[in-house]
Amino acid sequence: MSQRTESERSLDSETLLSVRNLSTRFFTEEGQVNASESVSFDVRDNEVLGIVGESGSGKSVTALSLIDLIESPGRVTGGEVWYREPDLAEEFRARDGVSVEGDHVDLRTVPESVRRALRGPSFSMIFQDPMSSFNPSITVGEQIAEAVEVQRRARANPRSTRSRTQGYGFARYLVDTLVPGRGYVTESSKERAIELLEQVGIPDPAERADEYPSQFSGGMLQRAMIAQALAGEPDLLVADEPTTALDVTIQAQILNLLRDIQAERGMSIILITHDLGVIARMSDRINVMYAGEVVERGRLEDIFENPVHPYTQGLLGSIPDLQNPQPRLQPIEGNVPSLFDSEMGDGCYFADRCPKAMKSCLEKPPQRPVEGSEEHTAKCVLADRSYDPSEAISGEEVHE
Amino acid sequence: MISPRVLRNLKKEFRSSHLAKLGLVLVVAVLLVAAFAPLVAPHNPTAQNLDQSKLPPVGFAQTSTETTSKMVNGSIQTVENTTVIEPDLAHPLGTDGLGRDMLSRVIYGARTSLMVGVLGTLLAVLIGVPVGLVAGYYGGSVDDALMRVADISLAFPSLVLAIALIGLWGRATYSIPDPFVVAGLTPAMPEASTLPVTVVVVVGLVNWVWFARVARGEALSLRSEEYVKAARALGASDGRIIWRHVLPNAVTPIIVLGTVQIAAIILLESSLSFLGFSGTTLSWGFDISQGRDYVSSGQWWIATMPGLAIMLSVIGINLLGDWLRDALDPDIEGEGGA
Repeated sequence: MSQRTESERSLDSETLLSVRNLSTRFFTEEGQVNASESVSFDVRDNEVLGIVGESGSGKSVTALSLIDLIESPGRVTGGEVWYREPDLAEEFRARDGVSVEGDHVDLRTVPESVRRALRGPSFSMIFQDPMSSFNPSITVGEQIAEAVEVQRRARANPRSTRSRTQGYGFARYLVDTLVPGRGYVTESSKERAIELLEQVGIPDPAERADEYPSQFSGGMLQRAMIAQALAGEPDLLVADEPTTALDVTIQAQILNLLRDIQAERGMSIILITHDLGVIARMSDRINVMYAGEVVERGRLEDIFENPVHPYTQGLLGSIPDLQNPQPRLQPIEGNVPSLFDSEMGDGCYFADRCPKAMKSCLEKPPQRPVEGSEEHTAKCVLADRSYDPSEAISGEEVHE
Repeated sequence: MISPRVLRNLKKEFRSSHLAKLGLVLVVAVLLVAAFAPLVAPHNPTAQNLDQSKLPPVGFAQTSTETTSKMVNGSIQTVENTTVIEPDLAHPLGTDGLGRDMLSRVIYGARTSLMVGVLGTLLAVLIGVPVGLVAGYYGGSVDDALMRVADISLAFPSLVLAIALIGLWGRATYSIPDPFVVAGLTPAMPEASTLPVTVVVVVGLVNWVWFARVARGEALSLRSEEYVKAARALGASDGRIIWRHVLPNAVTPIIVLGTVQIAAIILLESSLSFLGFSGTTLSWGFDISQGRDYVSSGQWWIATMPGLAIMLSVIGINLLGDWLRDALDPDIEGEGGA
């Protein structure tokens, strides 16, 4: 099985984050929903990893599972999240129950408090809808300054896990807010917040910092959210549909801004979107997701020039081509399949919509390497053979 | 929370609503009267003067007819003596059966009612809001457990529960020295006000459920807000999120409920005093229960005056609550608001 070889692949020093077989399920009253299933990918230093797929394909769930923000009734049911953090690896090397390999630590095995402490300085996230991502009753500047302050306090004493979570705690926060003369947010954090606002291109940052979110436009708020996400100087920024709620001109500005900041700080970005245009513009490598699984992965040029999985081909086929306009776009027929555990078959999940379904698609295809590029793999029987019309089956046959 | 927009709404709503003005006038009047009771009251509310008992309020001269029977020459003769009891201007609202000045008693009664109303509501907020926020924020089994407790305490009629708790704990009271008397400004007045501690605790325990329910509902909708998720993604703890992001945005309905609850608790306190459970003898409810005996014999004012005081203060607080709700509720915010 190639999945095994995948999880046995060693962690090299350029891998910032390695996600292996991460599965997240939602336990609803109607049944179990497999929102993401055995998702594996690596994020290297200083790269933009694109995750693309239709609505409901498990992109956001994967991102949220990664930084442990899945809420009930959802739960991460399995998998490993290896993160490179030499200090943490040193601290936990001898600890029972915590998996450490070289400089990498499996975050699924460390205590929740450690994972929380990593949110902010290690991972940060920006969300789809900037309008609702700020607390309407606190000024934008104060919210960013607070994020700066939290990280600053955490960094002031990075030795042990215990002290790493200090300054996050509620008791400390109560004392700081209630005791006069001990404001939680210091002047220098406020100045830093204004600096961050300036970096993300907000004019008059000092004045805008004192305004409430309702006084900002959508594009400005998205910038402010990026500023807030940068407050902890994260190694990895997860951008979940960062431009979907914005109009096209603002989209371009935000994407350029993300690109610039990524290059300047040398951080990595996981970019989640359904927009192939955004992916093409931003990503170094791409994961294509369908029905909770990564169905094809590769470098940008692998995916765009030599797509193997019929789903990827379908996605690319549904983009209008300005050079050779077609009278009609080629959409993928049908809808995303039900993710209820009871309704998911044994075969390839895409088979019933697939124009190239064959008999062998009734069994689950493993992730296989595609010839011509060492990083290109696809979860499809077509990865190492070509379509044979004599074996073709129809969508109805798949269901039987 | 208190942003310029909120202040603007409050002003706008206040200008357009006469009821809001009435409510504010009533509440401010009750507050001032309660605060400066020793200066406002014409007499010591506890001083008895049996010579001047049962004086009617000004404007209500009382004629009492006394019928005496005499045996005259073997037959019974009835003699009717009609006496007119004139009101005394020194006692504008009359006096009670022991000759205590009703006006002074009503003024001092405001202290008890307001103390119990405000402190009881505060206690209910302190218990109910954290419980509700935790239940709503965490959801799941935590929510189920806390809200079932709330449902159970809601299933008891509040008066019965209050009486049961007072029966269990007794009537503890605490004497608060009157600053005006301590300062020597009004030596003739009572030296201390009695705070019925048990009643405060009991009304708090009876009414926390309402705050828990409102806070839970708010937390439930606020926890799925994107900014709560964003705060978690930035490493904020649950406590910080509840304190900083959930509570401030849930505060409006809690304030509105708080004003309504003060009125409800004043009524509950009066009921408890009326039934003799409060531990203080200087409260509106207590005076009503004393006056009840005199209603049938024509001295209606002894029960009516404190009753009017309860009515006016409860109406005032409710009108104020309506104003706050109309002004703070984002649903009816905006230009063409109702």
